[in-house]
Amino acid sequence: MYEEPYRWIEAVANRRTYLDDQFIQGNPLIAVSFARGILLLTVNRGTEKIYEIYDRIALGGMGHPADLEKLRYTLLDMAHVEGFQRSPSDVTASRLMKNGLAPVIKQAFEEIFKAPYITKVLLAEVGATQDRDHLFSINYDGMFEEQREFGVLVSSSSIRETLSQEWKAQGRPTSLQAAIEVSLRMWGISSLLQTDTPSPDEEEKGAVSAPTTSVATIPDKETIASRIRETLSRETLECVLLDRESGKMETYHTLCQAELQPLIPQSFVPVIER
Amino acid sequence: MGPQGDFLQVLREQGYALDNLFPSSNGNGGFNQADVTTGTTVFAMKYADGVLVAGDRRATAGNVVMYDRTDKVLEIDRFSVLAIAGVPATAFEMARILEHSFKYYRRSQLQDLSFEGKLRALATLLKNNAPAALAGTGTVAPVFAGYDAQEGCGKIFFYDILGAEFEAVEYAVSGSGSPTIRGILYYMNRWGNGPVGGLNEEDALIFVLRLMTSAAEFDSATGGVDAQAQLYPIVKRISAEGVRTIPADRLKTLFSDKVLNNV
Repeated sequence: MYEEPYRWIEAVANRRTYLDDQFIQGNPLIAVSFARGILLLTVNRGTEKIYEIYDRIALGGMGHPADLEKLRYTLLDMAHVEGFQRSPSDVTASRLMKNGLAPVIKQAFEEIFKAPYITKVLLAEVGATQDRDHLFSINYDGMFEEQREFGVLVSSSSIRETLSQEWKAQGRPTSLQAAIEVSLRMWGISSLLQTDTPSPDEEEKGAVSAPTTSVATIPDKETIASRIRETLSRETLECVLLDRESGKMETYHTLCQAELQPLIPQSFVPVIER
Repeated sequence: MGPQGDFLQVLREQGYALDNLFPSSNGNGGFNQADVTTGTTVFAMKYADGVLVAGDRRATAGNVVMYDRTDKVLEIDRFSVLAIAGVPATAFEMARILEHSFKYYRRSQLQDLSFEGKLRALATLLKNNAPAALAGTGTVAPVFAGYDAQEGCGKIFFYDILGAEFEAVEYAVSGSGSPTIRGILYYMNRWGNGPVGGLNEEDALIFVLRLMTSAAEFDSATGGVDAQAQLYPIVKRISAEGVRTIPADRLKTLFSDKVLNNV
């Protein structure tokens, strides 16, 4: 029945609705490039979402862990074979994204008889200087784009747009502490917008009475802080720094809880009830 | 896909001629053993804080000095070092394969390869290289030293050209200048002022420089120390903090103070 073109289009559209729905419960992921390197931040419920791919490249994911694992292996194989046969400096996030990830994800998405990857991926590559940092993100349908300074994985593209605007409006972080603060804040906003956005069905119903819902407003400071506090009280904060100043070939560094503790702003720290 | 984080398997799938790094001589003639470049003296010894690994800088082909700034003490990862004697073409390739294998394993399996696992990986490469080793075109006899995190101590292993693995209790040597060094180490441990393994870092470094100078005295293929040309051996130190290269400046000071002058 899918031989007819319109059936195929319909099937792909159904797929989008299904996938969009899947990501609403997911945890957003933030990447910020600053003087010291690139910070990747997310929270998880037990399964890590940030991984090392190569000397200067990290992967952040959102979505199904099994799918993410499959894609992670694709990238690892490609990066290490390339780094071995050519040179480590020939391994770039741009080529991993364009030649490695994008075709695989797009094909899986469009082959409607098979399961798509339920995952969104961000690749971060730290350069020798900040203007050589690269952030790429790819959607479940294989559409990818490069972002400057600030990258985000979140359930919908409209929330992403809102966050990019918000990023432009604020000051640039100069230290690791500032980068963590701003990333947490952006994470809080993403998380709030994601769960507050009506699901596609509700949007349709509400469209007649309130057409203004498409413009998301940034929640106030206290709402953001309380969302972060509430999340951190039950989930684990996951932070990775691609350290430009590590002085070694390898730049990937997972910030452990002891390192993170003094860097988290007081207003975001969950209050322990006694 | 490497199901168990096996980088060699990934390379094989890509069609890389891994099991025959350097084809052995096929009897076409024209091959002369003396034309093959070889690296010479390397050794590793335990001291109070861990292990020191040292190598001279010379590469030779027959009686020709090919190069005087070779680095034969190669850092494979944060906790292990491969010191190579033999044909550098094969040895450098092995080092590159090991480096990527360990990185690939760590990143894909999300844990470090165990020290034993690293030793096996090197033995496998040597075993696969046996035909070239016997033909003389790819002879490598390495010393592998590293920090075993599970047991919390530095360890030294050495290999014959076919891949047999031996653990060294105090020291291991390889290459043409090694008999001299081996002799001195044996003498010092037996009749010197206490075992070499008890030396502190400074004394151990002085000892390393003296050993290298002695080896160069009796072996024309060993570069030794050339203070005039600012050529010092490569010395790396392995301890619980990982691998660290001893800066040439430090070796320079120690050499002029404690080796040239017979203090």
